[in-house]
Amino acid sequence: MGFWLEFIPSLFMGLLTTFELVAISAPLGVTLGVALGTARVYGGKVLGSIARAFSALFRGFPLIVTLFLVFFGLPELGIYLSPIISAILSFSLCSGAYISEYVRGAILSVDEGQSLAAESIGMSKLQEVLYIVLPQAIRRAILGISNEIVYMIQYSSLAFAIGVQEMYSVARTYNSLYFKSFEIFSLLAVIYLAITALVTLIFRKLRKRIEPYSDSKAEFIE
Amino acid sequence: MKVVIKAENVWKKYGSTIALRGASLELREGETKVIIGPSGAGKSTFLKCLNLLIRPDEGRICIDGEEITSLKADIIRLRQKIGFVFQEFNLFHHLTAVGNITIGLTKVKGMSKEDALEKAKRVLKMVHIGEDLWNKYPAQLSGGQKQRVAIARALAMDPLVMLYDEPTSALDPGLSSEVLLVIKDLSERGITSLVVTHEMGFAYEVADTIAIMNNGRIIEEGSPEEMEYMKTKEARNILNRWNGMKNGVLA
Amino acid sequence: MPSIYSFFRYIPFVVEGTLWTISLVLGGLVIGFFIGLSLALVQSFGGERLKKMLNIYIWFFRGTPLLVLLSLFYWAVFPSLGLELSPLETSIAVLGMRSGAYQSQIFKDSINSVDYGQILAARSIGMSNRKLISYIVLPQALRISIPAWSNEYAVILKDSAICFALGVMEILTRVRYVSTATGLALLPYLFAGVLFFILTFAGTGVMDFVYRRAKIPGMLEGLR
Repeated sequence: MGFWLEFIPSLFMGLLTTFELVAISAPLGVTLGVALGTARVYGGKVLGSIARAFSALFRGFPLIVTLFLVFFGLPELGIYLSPIISAILSFSLCSGAYISEYVRGAILSVDEGQSLAAESIGMSKLQEVLYIVLPQAIRRAILGISNEIVYMIQYSSLAFAIGVQEMYSVARTYNSLYFKSFEIFSLLAVIYLAITALVTLIFRKLRKRIEPYSDSKAEFIE
Repeated sequence: MKVVIKAENVWKKYGSTIALRGASLELREGETKVIIGPSGAGKSTFLKCLNLLIRPDEGRICIDGEEITSLKADIIRLRQKIGFVFQEFNLFHHLTAVGNITIGLTKVKGMSKEDALEKAKRVLKMVHIGEDLWNKYPAQLSGGQKQRVAIARALAMDPLVMLYDEPTSALDPGLSSEVLLVIKDLSERGITSLVVTHEMGFAYEVADTIAIMNNGRIIEEGSPEEMEYMKTKEARNILNRWNGMKNGVLA
Repeated sequence: MPSIYSFFRYIPFVVEGTLWTISLVLGGLVIGFFIGLSLALVQSFGGERLKKMLNIYIWFFRGTPLLVLLSLFYWAVFPSLGLELSPLETSIAVLGMRSGAYQSQIFKDSINSVDYGQILAARSIGMSNRKLISYIVLPQALRISIPAWSNEYAVILKDSAICFALGVMEILTRVRYVSTATGLALLPYLFAGVLFFILTFAGTGVMDFVYRRAKIPGMLEGLR
């Protein structure tokens, strides 16, 4: 009994940290992803190549390597970040790189006729992208984006490796102190499953509200 | 003449729609029968019931004297007695024209590769598929060629009877005739055939008997000459509607 | 500041980790292949009750972080089953079971993309379910799966780095040792990143080649 009284509150604190990590990284990742994706299509030679290289790099590196690079490597360049900030930065970079893939694909799927129409009513390229293309592209990319955020929740557990006291880290500490591996890690699995289910449900609701306004019914069919 | 297919009182429901309402039919050895009728009459469902691609809810179907609808029936063996040609060809995408034919011979009939190949070449010649096409994949063939390969695939299994489910409906009008000619040719060689089609000219020219289907059952049948003397009003109405299309497609 | 040259003599040690990483990836992919294919076949051709049970498996392995799975199986599940598995064996088993859950989706999609008409046609020439699965459905479904499979390779490759948490001597674990030994971080971790990068491209390059070789002539590029 004493174990649970100690473990549950600690785990709850860990849950809050996990939540903090994701709640900050997710919007940053989405924003970065939209920016990168847009730059990859409209960025021209210089900006486009930078965005492409950036997204290829962070998709090619395992997230855990990025995390170590940021936390242990950057100090060699004189940049010192706290564990939490390092984690947030790494998660945002990684999910941004992946999300840019969906955004890019979605932008390319907006038909060219609309571009011509936007030009014909005198819109600038910037206006066209901001008001015509992106609103549709983001709707089309929403399924991929929501998947990435669900992944981020799962991979946020990696932050334990740089000393962030999130859920997994708490569980691992307790596992080394008590011989209750089964209880500890199955409870942890259940919590992650519940969070995943909840977030998936929320995103499904969100998609149902957003998607009917886009003309891409493809994802609904089947 | 021996009865090859005998279907009695076949019923099939899909949810609340009833596709077949007691359809019956008899097909004799050497006979060519054409089933006509408006779309939604249940022609395709009926045909697929005959080799149990669709299991009927009720009714009895006998193939060559054996009841295929019986729960004890060896469906796999009985199906080999029936060649089936689909509206959409349904060729195996990953196999060449020859491969489409040999796969059944080697894997189902257990024939050797060499024998299967010989046989495949023979049936492909029967459907007028030249040597240049033997090693082409379905995606490299025209619709008419695909359908003829599909006919050859069915024919190669040495069936007692060939069933054709609207074999030309998915083809451009120009390509229909090459397929219809093959079917006619096979029928004239004495291969028992049951054809569902909208091609009236073909029906009048090739059929021994024409069966009229409506509302999930065969309402009347007779030889092409007897079509003018159909007894029921239902059958006459359907025929009148279709006679407009009675210009020789094969001419 | 330690000299970066001290890192260079550790390079062979780190590169040797590639063998361990490849064992993790190939082991996981192969186990995942058999699990995923079986799951997909049951989901396409099996009974309702079995499908429900398998859905729970898929849901569990997809919804639980890899770290938690590794810990759960290493410290709890395998020991309680009386299995004394090493970190490497545990990691391969877990990566495999998890990849199986993901691969089942790949195979399910590709089996579904073989049109039903061909299955009817196979039945019409007297093929049993077993025969039509092995001669008609799978030869096509496996071809269609290759691009998604290549993607799964890239995912499991990167996930294999997470096995450092059990101390498996793969690339990242070695780099961590080297980092401690030399006092360097930026260079060793960059080196690890680049190794993973190269492995990703080498692997997906091979898959691309296989895909092009296996493509059915005349078939459109994106078949599905």
